[in-house]
Amino acid sequence: MSESAVAARPSDAVTPAGNGKFRRSLFGGLVTALPVVLIGLAILGFAPAYYMHLALAAFVNLIIVVGLQIFMGNSNIANLGHSAFVGVGAYGVAVLSTPLAMKKLSIPNAPFGLAFVELNPLAAAVLALLVVAVLAAISGKIISRLSGVAATIVSLALLIIVHSVFLNWTDLFKGNQAFFGIPKVINLPAMLVASVAVIVIARLFKDSRWGLQLRASAQSPQAAAAFGIDAKRLRLVAWVLSALICGLAGVLFAYFAGTISPKLFYFQQIFITLAMLILGGMATVTGAVTGVIVLSIGLEFIRSIESGVTIAGVQLPQLLGLSGVALGVVIVLCMAFRPGGISGRLELDEQLSRLFRRDAR
Amino acid sequence: MDYALQQLLNALAFGAEYSLVALGLAVVFSIMGLVNFAHGEIIGVSAYSVFLAAALGLTSPIVAVLLAVAAAALAAVTFERVAFRPVRYAPTTTGLLTAFGVSIVVQNLFMLLISPKPQSVSILNGLNQMWFFGPFAVSSLQVMELVVSGLTILALVLFLSRSTLGLAIRAASRDFATVRLMGIRANRVIATAFAISGALAGIAAVFILARRGSVSPDLGFGLVLKAFVACVLGGFGSLAGAAAGGMLLGFIEVGLLVALPQEYGGFKDALTYVIIVALLVYRPEGLLGQRVELGDKEI
Repeated sequence: MSESAVAARPSDAVTPAGNGKFRRSLFGGLVTALPVVLIGLAILGFAPAYYMHLALAAFVNLIIVVGLQIFMGNSNIANLGHSAFVGVGAYGVAVLSTPLAMKKLSIPNAPFGLAFVELNPLAAAVLALLVVAVLAAISGKIISRLSGVAATIVSLALLIIVHSVFLNWTDLFKGNQAFFGIPKVINLPAMLVASVAVIVIARLFKDSRWGLQLRASAQSPQAAAAFGIDAKRLRLVAWVLSALICGLAGVLFAYFAGTISPKLFYFQQIFITLAMLILGGMATVTGAVTGVIVLSIGLEFIRSIESGVTIAGVQLPQLLGLSGVALGVVIVLCMAFRPGGISGRLELDEQLSRLFRRDAR
Repeated sequence: MDYALQQLLNALAFGAEYSLVALGLAVVFSIMGLVNFAHGEIIGVSAYSVFLAAALGLTSPIVAVLLAVAAAALAAVTFERVAFRPVRYAPTTTGLLTAFGVSIVVQNLFMLLISPKPQSVSILNGLNQMWFFGPFAVSSLQVMELVVSGLTILALVLFLSRSTLGLAIRAASRDFATVRLMGIRANRVIATAFAISGALAGIAAVFILARRGSVSPDLGFGLVLKAFVACVLGGFGSLAGAAAGGMLLGFIEVGLLVALPQEYGGFKDALTYVIIVALLVYRPEGLLGQRVELGDKEI
């Protein structure tokens, strides 16, 4: 445990909702978001248009991974179903905000009169997140009651249920085909603001009373229960918050891509975001951010090799599956040699303050 | 009546297959607390070795069956040695994520080294015939699935209850530290458990190959997800629970197939999972699981 965390404890006990503590974690969250902002601004300023799409996709992954961290990092239960919420968020706004003319082409037989509904993007987003919240509350109620392993399996079952509904409820979701015509209202600056907000929320939750209690109950269920901590309720809170952020990622994805299909929100996305979180380190929000930055860049390199490149005049064949192998190897090696990931137990601001303290000495 | 019997046989055959795979998961979990997501890829390795052997000119189905089981057992032991031993004493979540990683690696290796597309394997098609008993026509594969699964489970029970190593395995699932104090080698117990788990997966692989007649990289993944659900349904870590959960899953699936109208057939998987999750609301510890007291499995 870090010295600063130990030093901070006694004062927390005196003023549980202390103002100074809130300000400290708000500041910490902003420091953690700083690299993201810098990268975002650099892309805005210098990168060619082709990279804009990649960057937006990477930011969506960032929001998903931070959302995933809220549940996995604090409760230490693996969640393999978060893409279900991303999908519900994305399809929610797709169904609600697509222009009527487009809907006549794509989903003319939508039930509940949804073929004749066209909301403005903001209202659609709020409604979609409401649907995500209801789904999360129901699934969370079940998952928070189960033991760790069973909870993971049920989170997977949730993913399969939601995916199967997308595929088979063709009147509403167009099934296997792409759902197109969603208004493209999100650009990079908006995405940046959302990313920073999400990072700060995750940090505030982690440092909050609930976050601390949940982390304590993950480390030692008995000791936490002896202190009167209701771990089930806390898991439910973390699950719903995590789901809402993943849902937000889905909403943003739909609004920048304009076209979505069910397979985008399935195992491929789970693999990638999970590997990012594990590589960075799931105990901290900094870890989530680090993992996304490192793997987004790394995967882009691997993808360019995967599609067959020419090295020193030799044309390499297409190597489908190479990025998958790399993701898996990252997960396995991380778990074996550095289970804490790159960033370990300390947030960026805590690492920095340690560094400066050592310099001063 | 004929139809009802046919569906009963269907349910039993599906259930037997799920039970086999779920038992493989439960054997490993009960001993070292590993949630082996890579179990599906053990099935995959087994199926792909039959595919490769057939491509190299193997024609005897019996040899193919033996090869499938041996390859699966070998793959399971290798996975343990390479990937799971470093995380043996780590928390459950670490092991689970490692296994998930192994599963991704192996699936993508199939894609990379062989092909992302399904490859045809016809060597075991002979197992899938129609048998006629008087007025009844039954699929030989389903009968074999049921009989072989039953015999395998019987053999497993005999092994676990009668042999020294089986006793050690059962003891290890209760208290590994004490088993080691009795002079039993941890590595041997765990390797045996993985070999058993692999052999069960290999038998399942034979049936899958005989039914589908092709291999694809995600061959075992979906099946193992269902087997996991069967394990959770029966009570995670309980062997009897895994077998019972698998059977129940088979009955739920076939029941839904019969009950659902044709146009809603696609919702079968979704509804299956909904039913199971609903069952878990009433029994969070699973049907045959024991209510684990807080901290029981903690070290």
